[in-house]
Amino acid sequence: MSSTEERLRALIDANLEIEGRASGQPISLDLSLADAGVSSTDLVAFWQLVCEEFSMDIPAEVFAELATPGDLIAHLDADAG
Amino acid sequence: MNVACPPAVQSGGWWQPFAAFDGVAVLHVDLAPDALNEQRAWAWLDPAERQRADQFRHGGAKRQYVLCRSALRSLLCDALSCRNEQLAFRASKHGKPSAFVGGSKSAFGFNVSHGGRHGLIALAPDGTVGVDVEERSAPRNLDVLVDTVLSPGERAEVMAAAGDEKLRLFLNLWTMKEALSKARGVGMSMDVSGFEIPHGMLRGTRGGVFCFPDVPDLTWALHNVGTDDFAAAVACTTQAVCDAS
Repeated sequence: MSSTEERLRALIDANLEIEGRASGQPISLDLSLADAGVSSTDLVAFWQLVCEEFSMDIPAEVFAELATPGDLIAHLDADAG
Repeated sequence: MNVACPPAVQSGGWWQPFAAFDGVAVLHVDLAPDALNEQRAWAWLDPAERQRADQFRHGGAKRQYVLCRSALRSLLCDALSCRNEQLAFRASKHGKPSAFVGGSKSAFGFNVSHGGRHGLIALAPDGTVGVDVEERSAPRNLDVLVDTVLSPGERAEVMAAAGDEKLRLFLNLWTMKEALSKARGVGMSMDVSGFEIPHGMLRGTRGGVFCFPDVPDLTWALHNVGTDDFAAAVACTTQAVCDAS
């Protein structure tokens, strides 16, 4: 089974435009998605897509605090663990 | 409606007055690449803001931040009669900034949004304000967004719209909901599918009065200020009575 990071990277590749990053390039885990130029509409859709991919209900106020892929992975792994 | 006069605002190198109502002034900030404007804007920033700007790894987001923050500094210095070095900002838990002059918190309300080549700054001397702007381009996951951020009634209206009207209607609703959640100071931490935009505004009325279901005693004047180029909305506190949805 793919790791959380691999599944998250696939979601990012398919759904987020990160300035200066080509699809498939490694993702910096400490990169703030907002600082990387991701729009608010893409972020909100991404929130829903993460919930669907990992079969989790992440409240909006919790997702808003998860600024980086690393934050998201830690949250998803903790919730699954 | 609040009848206070909006603050007098001046044009700058990259911003100009855009709208005024209910004691609120709205400025448009031109975020197109311009090396001279960006150099002039950089000079307005304090050391912490320059460090923040350098955290943006690529040009677009950094340019948006630098041009909007510098315009905000210039406008607030005029409005609060202070020097740039006296002005500082601190953010609330959910990221909404307040202005401080000489270490004292100012009650002057303001809010900033940017989308693509367009920034908007709303100034409300006597109240609380939120603003949102989005370029009229299709988000990657429009159907996911429709399902996520709209109420069932709003969703039905958008899904019944044909062609470009579907995107236009969605972006109008999105910016109105964002302006309201930013005015309230909760931003993206709020699930905005839990409230509905006043029905008349769904059908094209440019202004309305809104109350959050969980805070019925506080009313907000809501304005659709979008153009053909961008969707945009402003929400500010008002004494008016809430519209029936």
